[in-house]
Amino acid sequence: MDAIQMTIDGKQVTGKKGQTILEVALDNNIDIPYLCYHPRISKTGACRICMVRVNEAALKTSCTEPASNGMIIDTDDDEIRELRRSILGMLLAEGDHNCLYCESNGECELQRLCNRYEVPMPAGDMPTRQRAVDTVSSKGLRRNENRCILCGRCVKACGEIQMNSVWNFTGRGSSTALTSDMFAQLGDSSCVMCGACVQCCPTGALSFQTVLGRGQAWELKKETSVCIYCGVGCQIDFYTNKEGKLVKALGNADGPNEGHLCVKGRFGFDFVQSGKRLTKPLIKKNGAFEEASWDEALDLVASRLSDIKSKSGPDSIMAFSSAKCTNEENYLMQKFMRAVIGTNNVDHCARL
Amino acid sequence: MKQETINKTIEKFGNSSEHLMLILRDLEVGSGKNVLDVQTLRSVAELMNIPESAVAGFVGFYTMFKTEPRAKFVIRVCKSGPCHVMGATTVFDAVQKHLGIGIGEATKDGMFYLEKCECLGVCSVAPAMMINYDIHGNLTPKKIASILNSYRKKRPSLLESCGDEVAGKACIIDEPRQTKRLIADIGKIDPLKIESYLATGGYESLKKSLATEPGKIIDAVKDSGLRGRGGAGFPAGMKWTFVGKGPVQKYVICNADEGEPGTFKDRILMEENPHLLIEGMAICGRAIGATLGYIYIRGEYRRSIERLQKAISQARDKGILGKNIFGSGFDFDIYIKEGGGAYVCGEETSLINSMEGKRGYPRFKPPFPGGAGFNNLPSNVNNVETLMSVPMIIEKGADWYKSVGPLNCSGTKLYCLSGQLNRTGLVELPMGATLKEIINVYGKGMPKGRKFKFAQVGGSAGGILGKDLMDLPLDIDQPMKKGVTLGSGVVLVCDESTCAVDFLLQILSFFEHESCGQCVPCRVGTAHLHHISKKFASRTAVPGDIDLLLEKATVMKKASLCALGQSPIMPITTMLKYFRKEFLAHCDPNHKCPQCDRSLARYYAGRGH
Repeated sequence: MDAIQMTIDGKQVTGKKGQTILEVALDNNIDIPYLCYHPRISKTGACRICMVRVNEAALKTSCTEPASNGMIIDTDDDEIRELRRSILGMLLAEGDHNCLYCESNGECELQRLCNRYEVPMPAGDMPTRQRAVDTVSSKGLRRNENRCILCGRCVKACGEIQMNSVWNFTGRGSSTALTSDMFAQLGDSSCVMCGACVQCCPTGALSFQTVLGRGQAWELKKETSVCIYCGVGCQIDFYTNKEGKLVKALGNADGPNEGHLCVKGRFGFDFVQSGKRLTKPLIKKNGAFEEASWDEALDLVASRLSDIKSKSGPDSIMAFSSAKCTNEENYLMQKFMRAVIGTNNVDHCARL
Repeated sequence: MKQETINKTIEKFGNSSEHLMLILRDLEVGSGKNVLDVQTLRSVAELMNIPESAVAGFVGFYTMFKTEPRAKFVIRVCKSGPCHVMGATTVFDAVQKHLGIGIGEATKDGMFYLEKCECLGVCSVAPAMMINYDIHGNLTPKKIASILNSYRKKRPSLLESCGDEVAGKACIIDEPRQTKRLIADIGKIDPLKIESYLATGGYESLKKSLATEPGKIIDAVKDSGLRGRGGAGFPAGMKWTFVGKGPVQKYVICNADEGEPGTFKDRILMEENPHLLIEGMAICGRAIGATLGYIYIRGEYRRSIERLQKAISQARDKGILGKNIFGSGFDFDIYIKEGGGAYVCGEETSLINSMEGKRGYPRFKPPFPGGAGFNNLPSNVNNVETLMSVPMIIEKGADWYKSVGPLNCSGTKLYCLSGQLNRTGLVELPMGATLKEIINVYGKGMPKGRKFKFAQVGGSAGGILGKDLMDLPLDIDQPMKKGVTLGSGVVLVCDESTCAVDFLLQILSFFEHESCGQCVPCRVGTAHLHHISKKFASRTAVPGDIDLLLEKATVMKKASLCALGQSPIMPITTMLKYFRKEFLAHCDPNHKCPQCDRSLARYYAGRGH
């Protein structure tokens, strides 16, 4: 590793060669504001919020400017603050940003920065452009482009993380807008509902249908868990509302999924709190299922398996395991079949 | 569109996304209605294995394409600065009168569709329009009627048939006092015949440089003091040294996306002496170790595209392009890429994205193209005029080249004269000519004895020069000291009849139209500037709006990603320096201004603005 020594806001910090100024700052807990940058996608350099002063002279976007040895960086001064305030004001004026009606209220990055820089409400005397509002066509995702700041995170999340490239910009200049596929409604597009775009969206332009009307950002409680759908073991941050209902799943950046989820992990959690879910063992007696204790159920299974094995041999039994179980559970299952039952008849749903 | 046609077109060009522009252009012309319908585009995406969204994004970026049916012939009327001051509104009037259609409308018989567009690069014969790919200038109502009638029997084609008045030769001012270097052979050689170029000593400089060490070629260009002629004035030889070394593919890219309103020099050079450009590029290739060259030509320049394509074929046949040129062991070939109607693609990194079949968004720098350009490989991008200056430097030496022009700005410069002058066109003068000389000697003064009001030098992104700067040498460095710029060499002259507010409105509507929309200050800022200038034009502004213009343009100057967003401050501040009073007068709702009225009524009526 080639270390870089530089000064940010008077503080001596260390970075790695190949990092940008912003990356070095973030690694050193120095807060430079940004909107188009996101650690999981390639650099854009378009929002211009992260401008810093380099070597007491030029202003550069810290998200794109390579860090180099001996650099002196100022992340804040009057001119920088004024520029950030102006740019944020332009964004507010361009769209329809009414936090009262926005499901991102409380976790919106634009809102947070407008608060930090004390950006006044736009005077309403500049032209705005009506863009697409598509809240119903997709079962998982909602789109309200009037809250979009065209940062491009969704475009890159879809193209670089999910590699699906559903999103792109179309139009040009002040008429720039998002398109999904070839000018399609989101629900009619090739979107696989992984939700990567929503998770990256800094505003309320993209949101999950599951959370709407079921709690506001600051009311939700987060709990980290492991996805039960396959063996990757993605870490998920599950959010429950005040009533204790699961309403949202976000990929956790520390898991092997590095923040990403598929449609199952993202939306397949309604069964958890379903009334139809089995919570106790059932034994069929006289043609109907009746509740039983775990001891009773396990004894029955053990005795029936022993009977079958002694009458028809171990190869008359097979076990079929599930991808929803952990690797350890699946290991135990095949061990049980081979060592206890004595057969190689083991299979798994993920192979099919 | 028939599937078979789509298949064949893709087969003809190849299915790599870098050919998207040419494929779509071919399909649009073939549609007969100037349309790329969604079904066709989906099919193209599938066959080329490009995401549908990428094709939708591409088509949406380039204004020459449209996904809704237009008509057999699209009439694009230029409304950029030079055409505007020469009466573009009257062209719209005449088309409306003759065909009964406004902007964004088609005639009932499906024959014509009317659009407004930005600069067509024939500014000395303004006002101008383009019908499909044919450009016509010096328009009068009578002429427009006869041109339109002549199209009723024509079939859409990619072979241009422009009016005689836009021919390159015809756009050069006939005045012996010039220092003819780049244009010396124009008119003497036949641009369609390589033999004609060879007979005047053509390709001798290339031969000479093939026998010279690459480092020595770069030294010669450095010594000559040649600076980029596209507008930024960066030393060409130094740029060449920035190109990455080592055994990787390198590219020479010629920026022929001449889009700065008022500029038409590159078009004339390419149309009239295409082999000189090929020679310049090959020498550059030799110097930087590139074996491939690309010329990115704006889509409106059909004649340049055709003539260069022909010249490239002829050069290949003669063994001047291809493998082992002149038996030297050096390989070099050139291909043409086309633009689709986007001013921002003149910015070198936008141009490279566009070459790759992407939206023409500028890239952040670093990395610079010299390190990671086309296909992320080392690329050197130079303007047409710059590359065409190279052969003469090799032939006659750096000292000869430096013998004209001031220190640090050596050589000649092509100045493009347009606007309200008695004589407009191209002149070649030693770098550093003054406005006074250009106007009085070459432009022969203002028509009808009217008085000079201002000149915009450098194109829409350039500054306004008043009487006080008449003696300012228009080289690369002197104008900057006065807050203006030489840019690409545009001299657009406006006499006292021009309204400053109306003129600024055209500039600022141009920037909104041409902003790529990627970075916030430019995307939102250009829209706001346009809106505020419209308030002045409609006399609904208040004096404080002047400060607002300056404030927003200042934020754009400091924070925009590329030069487009950094530019509007210059025309705004320099215009206000001279004509603040006019802007204040326009704050009075009772102030009369027929020019502003006409612009508002013409350019903002109808659909699609």
